[in-house]
Amino acid sequence: MAPRINSLAIAAIFLGAVLGLNGCKKEAPPPPPPPPPAAAPKVEAPPPAPPAVSVANITLGKAIGSDKKVTATTDTFAKTDTIYAAVETTGSGNAEIKAKWTFHKGDKVADVSESMETVVATGPAVTSFKISKPSGWPPGDYQVDISLGGKSAGVKKFSVK
Amino acid sequence: MAEEEKMPDFSDVQSGTESTAEIVYEVKSGDTLSKIAKQYYGDANAYMTIFEANTDILKNPNLIHPGQKLRIPPK
Repeated sequence: MAPRINSLAIAAIFLGAVLGLNGCKKEAPPPPPPPPPAAAPKVEAPPPAPPAVSVANITLGKAIGSDKKVTATTDTFAKTDTIYAAVETTGSGNAEIKAKWTFHKGDKVADVSESMETVVATGPAVTSFKISKPSGWPPGDYQVDISLGGKSAGVKKFSVK
Repeated sequence: MAEEEKMPDFSDVQSGTESTAEIVYEVKSGDTLSKIAKQYYGDANAYMTIFEANTDILKNPNLIHPGQKLRIPPK
């Protein structure tokens, strides 16, 4: 019988040793701290937005050149003239430019013409509005109101003689 | 009784626009490229300039539709 006891004892000792070793096993060390995040790539500040379109000048004349500016400024026209209003703008972007032409007699006002254009400006630009009347302009006082984005940008008065 | 002063008739006034910048034009019913070219360039025959600037949305210079937004290049 002795040998059998010995075998059992050895097995028990071995099992105990294995369990004991596992029981004493040190806890796994905490994972190393994550590496510091890579330095965020430098984001360059976006370039400043270009200035919005604004009206710099309005001139009237009987003709325009290839630069769309009036060749000779005047505020007096003849019955058969084509009348130009050159609107000089600065800045970039889309801009709604409106020209409203009216005739004035005493305190009465008659609408002559109205044009609105959406201009895609990439810098200084000139937009010229023109009106003509095949049957001739009635003599009297007129004006053109220029607005930009719905806001008045200037008024020019002129007369037909 | 003083007769009310009559205001002149401006129904035959013609208008146009020219710009050194590109213009965006929205097609209206009854428009043709020739008519638009006449309005912006003073020359109906310049319609191909407008067509060529808008080949991304136009396939035929004789076929435009109300609501289309056309780029009108500077003359």
